[in-house]
Amino acid sequence: MNLDEKFVKGRGQFVGDISLPNTLYLNFVRSNYARARIVKVYGGITHKDVALKVSSVGEGGEGGFGSIAHPVLASNFVAYVGQPIAAVYAEDPYTSEDLIDSVQVDYEPLKAVVDPEKAIDFEPIHPGLKSNVVVDRYFGNDFEIDADIVVEDRFVNNRIATDPIEPRGIVCNYDGKRLTVWTSTQSVFSIRGGLSEVLGIPESDIHVIQTDTGGAFGLKGGMYPEYIVASYLAMKERRPVKWIETRREHLMASRPGRGVIGKIKLFADRKGYIQGLKGDVIVDNGAYSGGSGEFSSMFVARQLAGVYKIERAYVRARAVLTDKVPQGPYRGAGRPEAMFFIERIIDRLADELNMDPLALRLKNATTENYKSPLGYQIEPSRNFIEKAGEVLEYQKYYPRGNCGFSVGILYHATSGGESARIRVKDGKVTFWLGGNAHGQRHDVWGKMLIQEELGVDQSIIEFMNGDSDALESGIGTWGSRSAMVGGSALVMAARKLKKKVEEANGEYSTTALLSGEWDEYEYFDYDKTESSLCANLVTVNISDLPKIRVEKCRAYYDAGRVLDPVYAAGQNAGGSAEGIGQVLTESLSFNDEGQPLIASIADAGVLTADLLPRFEVKFYKSESTLPSRAKGIGEAPTIGVPTALSRAIERATGLRIRETPLSMEYLMKAIKN
Amino acid sequence: MKMEKHRVSINVNGKDYSEEIEPRTLLVTFLRDIAGLTGTHIGCDTSNCGACTVIMNGRAVKSCTVLAVQANGSNVLTIEGLSKDGDKLHPIQKAFIEKKGYQCGYCTSGMILTALALLNRKRNLTEDEIREALSGNLCRCTGYDSIIDSIMLADSEMAKTEKEEEIFVEA
Repeated sequence: MNLDEKFVKGRGQFVGDISLPNTLYLNFVRSNYARARIVKVYGGITHKDVALKVSSVGEGGEGGFGSIAHPVLASNFVAYVGQPIAAVYAEDPYTSEDLIDSVQVDYEPLKAVVDPEKAIDFEPIHPGLKSNVVVDRYFGNDFEIDADIVVEDRFVNNRIATDPIEPRGIVCNYDGKRLTVWTSTQSVFSIRGGLSEVLGIPESDIHVIQTDTGGAFGLKGGMYPEYIVASYLAMKERRPVKWIETRREHLMASRPGRGVIGKIKLFADRKGYIQGLKGDVIVDNGAYSGGSGEFSSMFVARQLAGVYKIERAYVRARAVLTDKVPQGPYRGAGRPEAMFFIERIIDRLADELNMDPLALRLKNATTENYKSPLGYQIEPSRNFIEKAGEVLEYQKYYPRGNCGFSVGILYHATSGGESARIRVKDGKVTFWLGGNAHGQRHDVWGKMLIQEELGVDQSIIEFMNGDSDALESGIGTWGSRSAMVGGSALVMAARKLKKKVEEANGEYSTTALLSGEWDEYEYFDYDKTESSLCANLVTVNISDLPKIRVEKCRAYYDAGRVLDPVYAAGQNAGGSAEGIGQVLTESLSFNDEGQPLIASIADAGVLTADLLPRFEVKFYKSESTLPSRAKGIGEAPTIGVPTALSRAIERATGLRIRETPLSMEYLMKAIKN
Repeated sequence: MKMEKHRVSINVNGKDYSEEIEPRTLLVTFLRDIAGLTGTHIGCDTSNCGACTVIMNGRAVKSCTVLAVQANGSNVLTIEGLSKDGDKLHPIQKAFIEKKGYQCGYCTSGMILTALALLNRKRNLTEDEIREALSGNLCRCTGYDSIIDSIMLADSEMAKTEKEEEIFVEA
């Protein structure tokens, strides 16, 4: 059954739908305190049974364990509300849930540190550490300059939940030789590698199968404590073990995204030329490694020049431990934060100079490839910005006073390459990709690329979910990389296959291909980070404050060769909705004791259809140099929409927008004015 | 916390299911674990996301916040009842394929059944009416545009086909 029919008939196989006979249902006893000493745990599986730590794999993962590795089950201390302390299991899910209350934990509560800026000078949250600052690096070179104009500000992207509609989950089974794992994931290879590392068993003894994956947005690429306990229990009891996350668990114990503070200072002359940039990036890492806090602090810092040619730049990057759940990647994962900081301060500079923001951007754009002192290559942006202004109708909308405009650069996580496999058997073509789809419709563009290369009809091509036994290795779906490196692996596999058919038959024909049996695996090696430019224009209606209605939400992207315009537009619409959510409603806030204040997906602020506009997107004509000729798109809307929307609100209300999400109290000021 | 069990009988998609269950058993658990119909999904546990939406006695309900005992004697339609295997697809299902009304597929069952309840109630819908009616269903992938387009297409297609044949599904 093809994907379309499967999902509209309710016949998807998500991890919650996997039901093996004799299954044990797993649940977790989680910390009620953000920081406490554990005096004693009565009952359940505890760290005495599973004295392991969570390895750092997947997107933004550091590899290995590190000094602040997350204990699978807490031993002497807990460092965030929701941290797993013990596990319970039963023959059915309801009884298993009841058993959570049977475990008693004696705590000795300690003072928690919640604010990352306060945590810099707070006593270390883990014994043995000298400081909560786990990354402290500088990029570029310090400089002194006597500039006409200096603008400086502090911006914040607060934490938000990834909130796919399907939460995390895993089913594990062990036959005495091999561990088989079904899970909702972006990468079967990260899960296999992570489990192997933690459990100390060879990768060849672990089989990871991707179930249909109901969204992920960065959540499902890495290793989590629950997966390790499920595997441990399946191996110990020799029975299938199932764990499905509740939404409440997701909101307290799944890695959220953002949580970044950016202090930024621009030096410019009166004509608007930016002469220098200084920055200070602070990432709220949360309590342990395993997420992406350490990586993202440096990633944000290196992108801080945005799309501009700024000759002097000096940025400090810090990741700071707090008594909160570890931070992780969320759609954009460092890119939206960096572009928010630079684009917001550019708008501020425009106001200071009394200059049109588009003109200011054009003035500082680059006409050739420019290597930023912060490390990244910035592609020629001037022409793109000019085109974006025309296509998005900047001159028509911007003067109206309720409009914001932003540009950005999307660095694709192409480095590392990707794998693909094409098998031809019984007149049918089957393919696998190393990175695992979770809504991006790899099936659609994959079939198209195979048809293009091999000339076979799409109706006989079948796309398979991720399976660590079907491919030798692979990376994962994140960082807007799949159509680029995954697509290229597929194209290269198809070309190799074509050549083999030619060699065997003198010439290539689909008949020769389909009448034979072929199996081609390709690892497309790639070590460069590619990039593409993006721009957004947003207008708002504030006649009903504190309600803010987004009216126009327009996008202009360089997506290279657009493999499927409808699904590419779908990526824009979904990502734009998330970008609007980040500004207007989405939050994952905590009180001073580190207690989460968000308990449901509604509290978390995921937007409903009645609060969103229609989304418009147009594409810049280009092609990448990769075999698929595509460029990534998935993260572009979360990069540009938050900052364009913030500008629109800023202009409509007269309030400086420095922080997402907007607080009600702050907006009330506009009403009073 | 063992509870006294009660016999509950629910007609799901035209078939009777009868089981002794604990009174705390949710309708969604009954559908998924007892009837084995896993097309109804669990997303949020708090009746916000609508992934568990089914039609009970003609009304769309969120099956994660209905007890199975409350549904005793009811007729329930789940996504599996909209088109049995081999049967042709319902116009709403066709429209979701045509307009690419999903990305990951997890919210799709709930979206389709909410759309069915809506179209049972009213036709020739405006986009705003559809947005309003979808406000109890969350999708994190699509930004809703393609879902709204799917429902608009289903609305017009159903008006056409109903004149010719009886395809309307009632629960």
